[in-house]
Amino acid sequence: MTDTSDTPQSRPKSRLGKFWDSDFAWSFRHSPVAVIAFLFVVILVLAAIFAPLIAPHNPFDPATLNLMNGFTPPGTPNAFTQETFLLGTDDQGRDVFSTILYGMRISLFVGAAAVMLAMIIGVILGLVAAYFGGWIETLIMRIADVQLTFPAILVAMLIFGIAKGVTPPEYRNEMAIYVLIIAIALSDWVQFARVVRGAALVEKNKEYVQAARLIGRGSFPIMFRHILPNVLSPVLVIATISLALAIIAEATLSFLGVGAPPTQPSLGTLIRIGQGFLFSGEWWILFFPACTLLALALSVNLLGDWLRDALNPKLR
Amino acid sequence: MFAFIVRRMFQSVIVLLVVGLVAFSMFRFVGDPIDNMLGQERTQADIDRLRTELGLDQPFPVQYFKFLQGAVQGNFGVSYRQGRPVSTIIAERAPATLELAFVSGFLAITLGIALGVFTAIRRQGVAANIIMTVSLIGVSLPTFLIGILLIYIFSVELDLLPSFGRGETVMIGNWSTGFLTASGLKALILPAITLGLYQMTLIMRLVRSEMLEVMRADYVRFARARGLSDRVINFRHALKNTLVPVITITGLQLGSIIAFAIITETVFQWPGVGLLFINAIQFVDIPVMAAYLMLISVMFVTINLIVDLLYYAIDPRLRVDARAT
Amino acid sequence: MILRNSAIGLALLAATSVQAADFKWASTTDPQTMDPHAVNSAPVLGFLNNVYEGLVRRDKDMRVEPALATSWEPIGDGEGWRFHLRQGVTFHDGGDFDAQDVLFSYQRASGEAADTRSWFAPIREVNVVDDYTIDFMTIAPNPLFPSSIANWMIMDQAWTEANDAVVPDKETGNFATINANGTGAFKVTAREPGLKTELEPFDGWWDEAEHNITRAEFNPIQNPATAVAALLSGDVDMINPVPIQDVARLTGNADVDVIQGIEARVIMLGFDHQAEVLKYTDDAGKPNPFRDPRVRRAVAQAVNVDAILATIMRGNAEAASQLVSPAMSGYSEANAERPAYDVQAAKALLAEAGYDDGFSFGLKCPNDRYLNDEAVCQAVVSMLAQIGVTAELDAMPVRNYWPELREGNYDMYLLGWSPGTFDAEHPVRFLVATPNEEKKLGSWNFGGFSNPRVDELLPAIQSELDAVKRQAMLDEVAQIIQDEQVYVPMYVQPLVWGTRSNIGLTQRPDNFFLLRWVTVN
Repeated sequence: MTDTSDTPQSRPKSRLGKFWDSDFAWSFRHSPVAVIAFLFVVILVLAAIFAPLIAPHNPFDPATLNLMNGFTPPGTPNAFTQETFLLGTDDQGRDVFSTILYGMRISLFVGAAAVMLAMIIGVILGLVAAYFGGWIETLIMRIADVQLTFPAILVAMLIFGIAKGVTPPEYRNEMAIYVLIIAIALSDWVQFARVVRGAALVEKNKEYVQAARLIGRGSFPIMFRHILPNVLSPVLVIATISLALAIIAEATLSFLGVGAPPTQPSLGTLIRIGQGFLFSGEWWILFFPACTLLALALSVNLLGDWLRDALNPKLR
Repeated sequence: MFAFIVRRMFQSVIVLLVVGLVAFSMFRFVGDPIDNMLGQERTQADIDRLRTELGLDQPFPVQYFKFLQGAVQGNFGVSYRQGRPVSTIIAERAPATLELAFVSGFLAITLGIALGVFTAIRRQGVAANIIMTVSLIGVSLPTFLIGILLIYIFSVELDLLPSFGRGETVMIGNWSTGFLTASGLKALILPAITLGLYQMTLIMRLVRSEMLEVMRADYVRFARARGLSDRVINFRHALKNTLVPVITITGLQLGSIIAFAIITETVFQWPGVGLLFINAIQFVDIPVMAAYLMLISVMFVTINLIVDLLYYAIDPRLRVDARAT
Repeated sequence: MILRNSAIGLALLAATSVQAADFKWASTTDPQTMDPHAVNSAPVLGFLNNVYEGLVRRDKDMRVEPALATSWEPIGDGEGWRFHLRQGVTFHDGGDFDAQDVLFSYQRASGEAADTRSWFAPIREVNVVDDYTIDFMTIAPNPLFPSSIANWMIMDQAWTEANDAVVPDKETGNFATINANGTGAFKVTAREPGLKTELEPFDGWWDEAEHNITRAEFNPIQNPATAVAALLSGDVDMINPVPIQDVARLTGNADVDVIQGIEARVIMLGFDHQAEVLKYTDDAGKPNPFRDPRVRRAVAQAVNVDAILATIMRGNAEAASQLVSPAMSGYSEANAERPAYDVQAAKALLAEAGYDDGFSFGLKCPNDRYLNDEAVCQAVVSMLAQIGVTAELDAMPVRNYWPELREGNYDMYLLGWSPGTFDAEHPVRFLVATPNEEKKLGSWNFGGFSNPRVDELLPAIQSELDAVKRQAMLDEVAQIIQDEQVYVPMYVQPLVWGTRSNIGLTQRPDNFFLLRWVTVN
């Protein structure tokens, strides 16, 4: 890295400029795959965020649905109602295009929130384990073992089951999505904790940490101010890949019957419903949501891939 | 060393107990087994009587204790659904899952390493980039969808492979194997691909990135400077050094193969323990669920223990660490 | 290629040949036991009808015909029924069949541990007259008794005692859980629970075989898409059910046939009749509108059943006006009209009841119990939204569903009912009579509906011997149920089976699949 310039006026622009010139940005600009993947992610995320503005229908409002619109093929008028839908309709007469946009919103929200939560839990526990060692470390890492013992899908299923049992019945439908988030997060934090602990163990014995300790800085400032920034790149890589995994995990849970409610479907729920129409000729009910999921997960994965290489100092 | 093993074993037992406790506390939320066991014309009295007979009216710590008591003696109780000892049922089903896991694990490792080495050596090549991107498709779609698509293409449209089940099996002692018949082998192909795809992608990417790192390491540069051929460098030096982390990760991934087997077995109606577990959830067959979770836990804890002990044996630095913890 | 219910088996009746014919079939659930008295559920009884037999059996059109009894007649003025048993019948293991086996099977099937106990509630005592004559004495005149025991299967006393299976045991299982020894057309040769069951024809069967199967194999396949794939690729010869949405596609395929009929099961919406207040959504705690029959009628008029049948059921089901389908005995012709779909009328009824602005409530629904149950509930939600009533749908697997209904955690719910006796009295007894644990009445009347006139008519219907008088009383009950809109019957669930086109078979409305009517060509 180059030295920092100190003129306050030029700082914002020069920062951006610097970023543009940095190794990181250079590597990004020279990787067409990364650029395309990034564009895809941006487009899909924007489409999800602005779904209410883009979508021609609101599929979550049951009063606007007409069952007789059901199973309309893409781009052809319905035999009864003469209405036409860009990507066709599903079994409930919902516009597939609108449903995908709204469903992607839920999938992205569940995925992002789950990864954030997993990251927070994992990073904190990983740092604490590495820094304090002793019985705290043993305890945390054994809990991590228990967690690993239960395969992610199982963990999520168990949590889903318990949460359904303990929430008062009247809140259950609203709870479903938050339960999904917690379930996926709790099955996912271990890898963050493991990586952070591993990296922190190395950092812990480096001179700068020893020095900070010698001048009497507290444990938490050392952990978060000094160690954390140095272990962030692997965390970032894992987070990106976890996002794709979380979205897929939500779809898988949906197949096992513990996903988002059918009246407010996620992409995963749409695919679960759509796979029932694979043999019946209504290919569009499965095809479009599956393609959207593929595009989303694939671009996030490719981005994560590139990030892994770009942030790995040994590969420069 | 001995003290370390004892302490580690002790911790493993506690892990198992906790797993069992968590599993047991969740069963009450899975549903009520009673409705599956009684017909349409049942009365409330029938329901209460059956609940007492099954011991479901007792507080769950008592139920858990009873389960542990039995489990220690290898007795996991009797399946509510099938009315047979759970241990017998699991012994019948285990070969199917283990054979499937073995084949898909084998596919994942061989293909994963081969493709990983290739993509690392030709890092900038077009073919390597295509492989890297295409392999990601495998992890960007849910397993169940991949399975259903494979069935659609290979058994319905092309009519090449069976759509469900294990085909003909042969009994060798108590082990039913599908390896010895043509239909058994054909039946393995689609489920093994479905199950192994994810692991293959993972191993391939791991091998690739480890290779890339090792190839930049000083000793490989020295070797190159010494004029050793690429082939010798790649395989004798780089790959060899890559394998240790790959083997570790693969070992830990064994568990996730077993877990994903649940989905694969459901899609292909593969008669293994994963399908058994899904059925058990459907019918709230508590003894089967409990036994399955406990067995999975024992397996994981054992794998973890072995990995730890191997590390301990291989890496002298950890010995100091272990003493400190 | 599409075929309707009845004629298939008959057409191929003569095709019996000696060539080896393997037959494989698949369904979603495995019969959980081979014990005919342990579990009273359709998958178990349907499967075991191939292996065991009762005194009477049902023919292809559901009529009762002689099986192990050759004839029967009432005793005196309806004090009971006398059955004359078939001679020369043997069990699969070679044991002889006689009245002692019938008496033993009665004791076994009516005992505490048996799930079939309720069938014998009208019986006072059973007397063996001689080796081939047996009397069933009833508490009150019971005209329906012979047809109510078509699924009561006779076991061999000697075999059961020798194998220590005298009492059915569904908790821990016994010999009869995995093994079977009936008098039926097929014997079980191998059984791997949950995976595969193999059968072979029984050479010593008393009746003449219509089938030409030499070996049959049953596989449960859970995932419907996998089952369809298995049928299309020829891995199995028959599947039950075919997912409704795949009917059209399979019909267009020359290699497979779709066989459709109407099942006995009526799908309906139920209400909480007792609760003072709503339990769900923003309106939780407000007075329960469903106690007002006008609101229930509004729901009935707001649900566009024809649209559900046209889209979700793809024209494969028929609308229902009562708790039983027209094919059942005791169906009320006088009440065959269902309330017309009329959004304006529904709104007017709501306004009349004081709910001009609508209200919101919780709708419970299973998602793995009936054909497309979740999709139907979703459609109901959007149809109710048209009259300003907001339903919050909570769909769940059936393992959670029944406990939820038992605990009263619903405002409205979906229910399917198939009358075990194929008579209109059955749903009245279980769904409409005031719940009474002691008299075993109203055990599925979750909403707690209660009407003194219905409670008064039910025992009279049960013991009336005169068909015309009986029908008059059933008509009156049907009228009350319709006026009060106790339930909103929507449609009769269709039966859809798929076969390879070289298979001939017979589909019965009780969804029982009988191997003895199968021909492989």
